[in-house]
Amino acid sequence: MAVPVQFRKPPLGGIGKKVAYYPGCSLEGAARAYDVSTRIVAKELGLELDYLEDYNCCGAMETKNVTFWGTMLLNARNMSLARQQGHSVIVAPCNGCSFSLQRAEYFLETDKNTLDRINQLLQEAGEKPLDTVPHTYHILEWFYHEAGPEKVKEKTRKPLRGLKVANYYGCLYTRPHFYSRTYSHLAPENEEQDRPRKRETADDDEHPYYMEALLEAAGATSVEIEPMHTQCCGGPHSLSDEEVSEKFVMMILQTAKRNGADIIATECPLCHASLEMYRHRLMLKGVPDVDVPAAYFTQLLGLAFGYSANDVKLKDNLSDPLPVLKKLGLA
Amino acid sequence: MAIHERSLVEPERILRKDRLVIDGVDVSGDWNLIILPRVIEDYDLSLLDEILQQPEGKTILQCYQCSYCTASCPVHNYWDERYNPRHFIYLARLGMVDELQKRADVMWRCVSCHKCTHRCPKGVLVEEVLKAILRVLAKRGLIEEYPSKKFDKFFLEQVVEYGRIEDGELLFGWIEKQGYKVFKDPILKKPIPLFGDIPEWLKTLAVKPIKNMNIDFLILNAKHMLIHPKTKNWGKMKQVLRKVLQEEGVELH
Ligand code: SF4
Ligand code: SF4
Ligand code: SF4
Ligand code: SF4
Repeated sequence: MAVPVQFRKPPLGGIGKKVAYYPGCSLEGAARAYDVSTRIVAKELGLELDYLEDYNCCGAMETKNVTFWGTMLLNARNMSLARQQGHSVIVAPCNGCSFSLQRAEYFLETDKNTLDRINQLLQEAGEKPLDTVPHTYHILEWFYHEAGPEKVKEKTRKPLRGLKVANYYGCLYTRPHFYSRTYSHLAPENEEQDRPRKRETADDDEHPYYMEALLEAAGATSVEIEPMHTQCCGGPHSLSDEEVSEKFVMMILQTAKRNGADIIATECPLCHASLEMYRHRLMLKGVPDVDVPAAYFTQLLGLAFGYSANDVKLKDNLSDPLPVLKKLGLA
Repeated sequence: MAIHERSLVEPERILRKDRLVIDGVDVSGDWNLIILPRVIEDYDLSLLDEILQQPEGKTILQCYQCSYCTASCPVHNYWDERYNPRHFIYLARLGMVDELQKRADVMWRCVSCHKCTHRCPKGVLVEEVLKAILRVLAKRGLIEEYPSKKFDKFFLEQVVEYGRIEDGELLFGWIEKQGYKVFKDPILKKPIPLFGDIPEWLKTLAVKPIKNMNIDFLILNAKHMLIHPKTKNWGKMKQVLRKVLQEEGVELH
């Protein structure tokens, strides 16, 4: 039943120093701190974010579960905007957004009919059709590849000495590799062909390490929380299926705490919100070992680059990471 | 037909005696287990056809039932063993609608973490296939509307209307749908989180920015709650989206 698929050549090597920046709705509101600190980090690392004007919500898991074409169209519109701003790479700081865009990329690339129909719909909606499908990366991958640990080390003025960080990647940062990593999940058609290879610019599927590499370069110590580093927080069900989400977040927080973490570093506004919300609820219930606070990895990098707690908006974090950071003299 | 799945054998159909002697021969033990046959006539193979027509369902036939997806699934491992992606695919392919219906209470619990899809050695887009199965069952009226679907639609409505999501409206709107009394200011009818009959955790969480005197954060979010962030020139997109949704049979309010 293998469907023959035509794939473009994977982009090997660099992603580019200037890319289209798709912040996503959360970053303009409740997750403002992530946006602000992301811009700070990008600036310090000598990278340029070109804000995607007038973008729309990517639809996340929620719309995807209800409508295929609607979700494709939502993401194709954002891609089209990026093309009009002259970009072939989009970076998104949110797991949900980067997943949605990558998923759209997958379907648009592997199925000509989907691409044709979407282009037609785009035109109907008064948007430019896609001449080529841009690639999407999570912003963490971009930081790692275009700046990397050395650059972070160079820029660090106030190392995060003594801070024990649990790096939490959430699920969709690395999963599924069909959308974000490899170019084909299908076996090659003949024996001589190699299995189409991974993007060089992608993090490891099962053992992501980019975040810990960057934070360690900034002086922090990583705490091992495998396999909870990519355990789902309940994400799209965090409001509609509270029992499951609560249990999942409890497992994540307890693992972090019991392995000695001072703080959990996050790289997605949804994971972050989920962790903070259920941390609060679990604490109200008196569940033990769940009081580790959360901070965006960009906030921590910002602190290391010499910015103040106010600059990276640490007050916005509902899980109060400030006391922990103050105790260690980091904020 | 051979027995494929232990879980398809209901306890009522298993006959077994502690001691059984036939013609003077003691056949106690595993020898005497008898499973009453079950005749299934209502295989509905059109279910599979319809799943294959869904853009997400196309890979269902690649599955060779290795169960790697189930072994990876956090809902199966940490929540309920009856949630079993491999099994759902199996049942859907056989068209065993009644067996799928029996599992309707757990089927929707997939948290879309994509461990299954990620690890499937056969390239089945498992999570997508499961959603396609659910969608077809729901479309045929074979399962009731489940909580996550209500939320998904609520979310979609906001996206279609404005092009953007606003966290406050999403959260409080959802809480209100759950039957809580959200206090709203009398003029603009916008929720004010400090009063009203809302869950305790939400009340105590919502006052945190106030306690922290995080003024600019409060102003920003209040502004968004008053004036919902919108995508500019959204009118035409809205129309096209509505058309697409209608074609897919998705009803919005
Ligand atoms: S997934 Fe969330 S953050 Fe991303 S665009 Fe949609 S609402 Fe915004
Ligand atoms: S951990 Fe939760 S919020 Fe983060 S990507 Fe996974 S489901 Fe989404
Ligand atoms: S991992 Fe893939 S092939 Fe194996 S049972 Fe699951 S869907 Fe089927
Ligand atoms: S996506 Fe759903 S079925 Fe797949 S592993 Fe996650 S919870 Fe299980």
